[in-house]
Amino acid sequence: MASLQTRNRRIAISLVTLVVGMLGLAYASVPLYELFCRVTGYGGTPKIKIAGAPVKKSNGTIEVRFDANTNKALQWHFKPVQVKQTVKLGEPSLAFYRVKNTSANLLTGTAIFNVTPFKAASYFSKIDCFCFVEQTLKPGQEIDMPVEFFVDPEIFSDPKTQEISAITLSYTFYPVERDEDNVDRTLSRKSGSNDEIDS
Amino acid sequence: MANSVEAHHGEHEHHYPGFFTRWFCSTNHKDIGTLYLWVAMIAAIIGGVMSWYIRAELAEPGLQLISNDPEGRQFYNVLVTGHGFIMVFFVVMPAMIGGFGNWFVPLMIGAPDMAFPRMNNISFWLLAAGFILLLIAAFIDGGPGTGWTVYPPLSSADFHPGRAVDFGILSLHVAGASSILGAINFIVTIFNMRAPGMTIHRMPLFVWAMLITAFLLLLALPVLAGGLTMLLTDRNFGTSFFDPGQGGDPVLWQHLFWFFGHPEVYIIILPAFGIISQIVSTFSKKPVFGYLGMAYAMAAIGVVGFVVWAHHMYTVGFDVNTRAYFTAATMVIAVPTGVKIFSWLATMWGGSIRMEVPMMYAVAFIFLFVVGGVTGITLANSSADLVFHDTYYVVAHFHYVMGIAAILGMFAGWYYWIGKMSGRQYPETLSRLQFWLFFIGVNVLFFPQHFSGFAGMPRRIPDYPDAYAPYNYISSIGALITAVGTLLFFVVLWRTYAAGTRVGANPWGEGATTLEWSVDSPAPWHTHEDLPDMAGKAPAE
Ligand code: HEM
Ligand SMILES: [Cu+2]
Repeated sequence: MASLQTRNRRIAISLVTLVVGMLGLAYASVPLYELFCRVTGYGGTPKIKIAGAPVKKSNGTIEVRFDANTNKALQWHFKPVQVKQTVKLGEPSLAFYRVKNTSANLLTGTAIFNVTPFKAASYFSKIDCFCFVEQTLKPGQEIDMPVEFFVDPEIFSDPKTQEISAITLSYTFYPVERDEDNVDRTLSRKSGSNDEIDS
Repeated sequence: MANSVEAHHGEHEHHYPGFFTRWFCSTNHKDIGTLYLWVAMIAAIIGGVMSWYIRAELAEPGLQLISNDPEGRQFYNVLVTGHGFIMVFFVVMPAMIGGFGNWFVPLMIGAPDMAFPRMNNISFWLLAAGFILLLIAAFIDGGPGTGWTVYPPLSSADFHPGRAVDFGILSLHVAGASSILGAINFIVTIFNMRAPGMTIHRMPLFVWAMLITAFLLLLALPVLAGGLTMLLTDRNFGTSFFDPGQGGDPVLWQHLFWFFGHPEVYIIILPAFGIISQIVSTFSKKPVFGYLGMAYAMAAIGVVGFVVWAHHMYTVGFDVNTRAYFTAATMVIAVPTGVKIFSWLATMWGGSIRMEVPMMYAVAFIFLFVVGGVTGITLANSSADLVFHDTYYVVAHFHYVMGIAAILGMFAGWYYWIGKMSGRQYPETLSRLQFWLFFIGVNVLFFPQHFSGFAGMPRRIPDYPDAYAPYNYISSIGALITAVGTLLFFVVLWRTYAAGTRVGANPWGEGATTLEWSVDSPAPWHTHEDLPDMAGKAPAE
């Protein structure tokens, strides 16, 4: 039999391999998690169907509400043009958001999005959206931005989503940081403390 | 000494190296164990003072101790964070694993030392360095006010722009590396260095507990290390793992953290399980009821512990099926846990019970663990947890089941083994008083928090409406009693070393059958150099 020292080393090496493997798994979880969210609509990740063509038509309707948020570090004014729409299932619909650069600088932003209830996400598809690309606004510039989407009629066949009567589509605009953009981050950092308690 | 099988060890006495070499370059498992215990005690004082300061602030509504401005509230958050980190990483883990583990695993399996003595020394000093880094973090740029869960976006550069969180991350990295090296050392020691005849199925349950804990550490800590590194690069090097503005997702952090975090609570409590098993058996003068069931119950808890993590994040918006799974999986853990509780009771049943101080602590542990387990089952229900999440109900739950239970396990182990470690017995009356003060203190401290939590009082907030005042006042009185009990422990410690009666190899008599009781007290510097032969003997417990 090998000496105790050799046997000790052998086990230690396999344990180190285990540790490295777990570390690798932690990093592997990042792309796996993204894939998982995209495939399952987890966390309210809507489907993206640039090709368009809705699956099938139906006479059912559902209410879609629109929500807009802006990260504090981006000095933009961002609002939905319409608060809500009643849309036909399976039919592409168009909605608009209005955004204005209230700062004196050229700013670039990008919007992230999700839908609630989360479980509706796998039946909510975007055909085209301003959020697919970055937006750059000149000082004081105001634009209307479209989003084209449809809701899959299957939403009413799935027992888990049958009871849904309204879906909220939500966006948050974040600054895209480039050195030229002199984004004021300290602004948001200062307001970071928990100001909800006031006694 | 007369009944020691290793009487010849007296002659090693003069081999002790000088002070610096002995305590700074130590490779001796007992000396390293002692060092770990000292660090844990120092950290316990710091972490304890932080928590008593919090309780003092919470004794009455309004802000009394902290200033009513963002800096003051940040300071409160830093206290909560520091307390959590210190208690988990620098008190319980060093004391249980580094302290008692290093001291008693080699003694119990009949090995002369750990497999890699030098690496053992590195583990200890990494831990010390980690602790210093954490203390530095608290003093720069306002300190880390993230909670021990370090959730982004609060922990991101947007909301913690200074260096404090980076130092905190570094601290955990270093402490984690220390634990990983320690865990490798334990596994190799236990696999390769058992005395002849000490088969896996004859190992004392404390050794089983340490083996399983070591595997949990190896599987869980690298995931935390990975997550922390992502956070570090998000904060400093422009990656965006957790930044939704750049396509990341903060919920991913929660998954990574709790994939580590839930096994972490078992890392904290399994060694206590092992200690309690030794003590219950010793003072009932019976082998543990269902030895194999006890060992494999711990293994089952360890395995299932890796697939329940999302019960900490029910509020992130899982769909109903996911929540149903995590609720069910969490409840499954109650089965092996129940096996342990009932086996301890069955060991005591019909035993010849002696209520020595370690046994009092063991029974207190079982009581607290059951109370915390019951509220755990309540919280496992995702629908109920949506309401309880982040209330004091959760604070009460985890202090009962993990925090205070682990401290009781540590006290139990200390009173049980201090004769072996120091050669002197604790002062009886003072120690009983210490037990009662601490036991009553922690219950008065944490029981009312079930009620304030049930009524909706949020955690991690320095102020509250008047409606919660009575419960908080009682809770703070409990903290005061606990503080006195803790102080008394250090008096007991001092009296033990200064004036404790000297004890022989086995002060507990017939019930204490494990190998550490076969060597002198205090355990000589070298033990088990001639391997004891366990062939044909019954399982240790
Ligand atoms: C000396 C007795 C103790 C007292 C008086 C105490 C008190 C407290 C208090 C007041 C909080 C803050 C609750 C909040 O505002 O959310 C807290 C949090 C916590 N405690 Fe303790 N505790 C004690 C012992 C322990 C022990 C032994 C452990 C762990 C092994 C522990 C682990 C924690 C953790 C992890 C947190 C959560 C920190 C966070 O919210 O990030 N505590 N404790
Ligand atoms: Cu858990």
